[in-house]
Amino acid sequence: MLSIKDLHAEVEGKNILNGLNLEIRAGEVHAIMGPNGSGKSTLGHVLSGRPGYEITQGSVEFLSKDLLTLDTEERAHLGLFLAFQYPVEIPGVSNMEFLKASVDAVRESQGAATYDTVSFMRRAREACAAVDLDQAFLKRGVNEGFSGGEKKRNEIMQMMLLEPRLCILDETDSGLDIDALRVVASGVNGMRSEPRSFLLVTHYQRLLDYIEPDFVHVLADGRIIKSGEKSLALELEEKGYSWLDESEVA
Amino acid sequence: MADLLAPQLSAETPAPDWLEARRLAGKAAWESSHLPTRKTEDWKYTSLFALKQPFTAATESSESAQEIGLDLPQLSGSRLVFVNGFWREDLSELVPDAAIELLRFAEADEEQARLISEHLGSIVPNSKHPFSTLNDAVLSEGVFLRILADSKAAFPVQLVWHNSEQTDAAINSQRLLVLAEQRSEATVVEHFSGQGHSFTNGLSELILEAGAKLDHSRLHLESADALHIGGLHAGLNRDATLNSFHVAFGGKLKRVDVVINHRGRGAHCQLDGMYLLCGQEHMDYHTCIEHAEPQCTTDETFRGIIGDKARGVFNGRIHIHPDAQKTRAELSNKNLLTSSTAQVNTKPELEIYADDVQCAHGATVAQLDESMLHYLRTRGIPSDEALILLSYGFINALVEKQRLEPLRDYLKPRLAEYFGSAISAEPDYAAS
Amino acid sequence: MSQEQIDRAIAKDYAAGFTTDIESDTLTPGLTEDTIRFISAKKKEPEWLLEWRLTAFRFWREMSGPDWAHVNYPEVDFQSISYYSQPKSMEDRPKSLDEVDPELLATYEKLGIPLHEQEALAGVAVDVVFDSVSVATTFREKLAEAGVLFCSISEAVQHYPDLVQKYLGSVVPRKDNFYAALNSAVFSDGSFVYIPKGVRCPMELSTYFRINEANTGQFERTLIVADEGSHVSYLEGCTAPMRDENQLHAAVVELVALDDAEIKYSTVQNWYPGDAEGKGGIYNFVTKRGLAHKNAKISWTQVETGSAVTWKYPSCILRGDNSVGEFYSVALTNNLQQADTGTKMIHLGSNTRSTIISKGISAGQSSNAYRGLVRVGPAAKGARNYTQCDSLLIGDKCAAHTFPYIESKNPTGVVEHEATTSKVSDDQLYLCQQRGLDPEKAVSMIVNGFCKEVFKELPMEFAVEAGKLLEVSLEGSVG
Repeated sequence: MLSIKDLHAEVEGKNILNGLNLEIRAGEVHAIMGPNGSGKSTLGHVLSGRPGYEITQGSVEFLSKDLLTLDTEERAHLGLFLAFQYPVEIPGVSNMEFLKASVDAVRESQGAATYDTVSFMRRAREACAAVDLDQAFLKRGVNEGFSGGEKKRNEIMQMMLLEPRLCILDETDSGLDIDALRVVASGVNGMRSEPRSFLLVTHYQRLLDYIEPDFVHVLADGRIIKSGEKSLALELEEKGYSWLDESEVA
Repeated sequence: MADLLAPQLSAETPAPDWLEARRLAGKAAWESSHLPTRKTEDWKYTSLFALKQPFTAATESSESAQEIGLDLPQLSGSRLVFVNGFWREDLSELVPDAAIELLRFAEADEEQARLISEHLGSIVPNSKHPFSTLNDAVLSEGVFLRILADSKAAFPVQLVWHNSEQTDAAINSQRLLVLAEQRSEATVVEHFSGQGHSFTNGLSELILEAGAKLDHSRLHLESADALHIGGLHAGLNRDATLNSFHVAFGGKLKRVDVVINHRGRGAHCQLDGMYLLCGQEHMDYHTCIEHAEPQCTTDETFRGIIGDKARGVFNGRIHIHPDAQKTRAELSNKNLLTSSTAQVNTKPELEIYADDVQCAHGATVAQLDESMLHYLRTRGIPSDEALILLSYGFINALVEKQRLEPLRDYLKPRLAEYFGSAISAEPDYAAS
Repeated sequence: MSQEQIDRAIAKDYAAGFTTDIESDTLTPGLTEDTIRFISAKKKEPEWLLEWRLTAFRFWREMSGPDWAHVNYPEVDFQSISYYSQPKSMEDRPKSLDEVDPELLATYEKLGIPLHEQEALAGVAVDVVFDSVSVATTFREKLAEAGVLFCSISEAVQHYPDLVQKYLGSVVPRKDNFYAALNSAVFSDGSFVYIPKGVRCPMELSTYFRINEANTGQFERTLIVADEGSHVSYLEGCTAPMRDENQLHAAVVELVALDDAEIKYSTVQNWYPGDAEGKGGIYNFVTKRGLAHKNAKISWTQVETGSAVTWKYPSCILRGDNSVGEFYSVALTNNLQQADTGTKMIHLGSNTRSTIISKGISAGQSSNAYRGLVRVGPAAKGARNYTQCDSLLIGDKCAAHTFPYIESKNPTGVVEHEATTSKVSDDQLYLCQQRGLDPEKAVSMIVNGFCKEVFKELPMEFAVEAGKLLEVSLEGSVG
């Protein structure tokens, strides 16, 4: 589904990704871990096409398309979803209005029929309930005045409604208390299915207690330096990232 | 309009050649300038009618500080005192401080004269401020304060302009140039006081070179009959920081223009002020912040309390030039009217030519909160006392913000006394 | 996303730009007392009105144009403007829509005001001003049943001279300002509304203005009188065809709300703004003012997206105790447009209240200024004003200004003003794009969100139109 080959990227003239390789097949859940500044968040933004992130080398194929030539919204239309670490506030634009426009745009681009208002509202309310977010949030401005946890749950709710093929969760666990973390995890777990893949970007393995990954990768200096199964995350938790530096040297 | 220059020229002491040229240029500019009228947008709410009276030359006084009622904060540093525009050596004091040079223009050595010539008037656009040309025409008692690069003044510097009671309305000028060199630090207090109905044309310029820090206060505590038209112009270069604090009691006509020019990236200005008016006083603060460079910040707060038949004017302009991106500028102006015949005209202005900026302004006009008054009264505080307490509370935060403790200690009892007299003279308000 | 994308999204063609080929009866350009006599005679006006106009003309000649607004434009040559233009086939006024020139009706169709359809669907009575003469009035009968008078001001002069004479110029005196004086001298037509005592107007009243003839200034005059305890909502829409030259539009609108009456006046102004290089476009110099008597309420809502230069301050004089004034405004400028707009709230009576919500959006190289005055007079005990002015900048070549004047002479009055500026941030656009929205849609959504507080004050169908208009006006602003 996603094939990243030798990806180099820079932000404001600084190299952040240095030859990253990653293959994700349909239905898989991958976790990317790494110390601060290793380039974890950059990967998500490069994949979704954030302005200012320049690809200097390498290729990314997503669903057999050259992802890097597409605009941000075209990537979204293909089914790429990024749950932001810091979702921005858009005052005055109601969550409901925003969600409807977004889901309509994605569905239209995929040739699917758009939902009529009534059934969309029903779906949105269900999604709200699924992430334990009061329905009043649908009427409020997008992320406007939301707490950190509410913003994250709002992101997961959008993910549910957009039904993407690849979900990238950028440190969605940071700043969440344990209850919110459970809510987010159960939302994600409920969406796991054969055609849908996940890329979890996280600093701690805590999230992986709730969302069990198929593969774990360790990112350092803009490359994946170690890949393994779930056990790798536990090992990291126990020994810390510095253990890797030593093992790399060895 | 009466002749505002001739009486001053007659009292002017001779100036050295390098200053004389500037005086003559000022004289020529003043004589060809047009004074603003009520149709001039910047003077819409302030009439110059009070200047239509004959002024006489100020006369030197030799009375003691006590006799002329001079009352100053005790700041322990150097102090220059001028009475009726004349320097009073006996009342002045120079405390040795290796970080500063403090002198009158007439005393400048060659290097100092060069610096004065270079900076004096360099940030004052005469066309917008015609009274600055009048000031240029009489310069010999101007004061130059230089804070040397990379040094910190040990004591605050105090500059006092006092007018003693004179039979006829006298006229004089005040001029100050502060040059804070790179990475220097200092504290300056300008103090205007006096009795009688003299007219002072004041002009102060603050030049902050890169990284300089200046704490500045300008107190206008003259009598209710005083006339003052003045300006404070500051130029802030890269990463310079200016804290400027203004306090004004009203006068027959008072107008102060405060103009801050952000001329280097990363400069910061905190501008605080208050005007407290009663009787038939008039006070007009016009502030203008020019953001010409990116990443500069401004926090401006002005509060006014206007009682009796007084009239307050506030105009706060923030101008963000093209390319002054990442500017943050905020202005708040709050006014309390404490009598049914008091007036205030306020206009905060934003003029913005760059998009990546955070700017906000707010202005309010109101009376004291009834529920607060009621609350105090339920706690047994009589209503007139409650009024004083709350009015004082309205401006107290600005006083408390000032770092110079002796200045706070000086102001607080005077403000409390002011409120005591101003508000108890407001029976209609207290009764309501 | 970048400036380039923003620029692209703000650059679409003016959708209402077409001219209608109808023979017109146009007066040769120039302005003298004879011009005024001609207009007055053409309209078969009574002697008092001719005198009224001539006096205004004499005032006007002594006055000079305003120079304080934050706008720049070449001086208007008042002698090169034609002061009267009337579609020829209108010489004999149509008695019903069937008699109206089909091409004219087609013009309205293009503008989205199909009269026939409106008659059936919307229940909106439309008084259409095409150039200077009112060509069709619908629903007059239904309104007549309620006692509501709704007609062109020319007809009102003939049929209800007492009402016109009593109220014309009572809110905006002829001497008020340069353009009001000019309008008083040469006004051609406009709408007249009278709502009798205690009547709630049974439908929204609506006028669409359109400048068609080249070189014709449009000087319409609107007078709305709401008698005691009555209620009316009036919608005004404006478009003009594309032309290279600048055209002048100097209208006067007067509202009189007698005791306990309520007038809601909504405008969607989409005059031709000129092209991307600033060529052509309407100069919109309009005086709008309402006088509120005891317990009356006047509410102005405006969505301004058009005109090359806008100079406009719909105002409320809150003379009566407990009267209420409201001003809700969205002003959008793009390319080289300039707007200096706002309101005046003059609090004279006690316990008068006013609310000002102004949203300015600047894009391209445009300049957008809010200018407002809140005055609390000595007798305005307990007066209350709240003002909120927000500016949104799209791109780094545009300008946004805020000039609020607050004058208070009463200690019991409370005036609050707040202003902020913001930009459409790259992060907001990125989030929207990540969720599949294209940049134009994203900007228009963000801008609509920014304007929400104002749009909710518009009648439903206008709100939808206003949202679309913003979208069109912003095209090319996102690249």
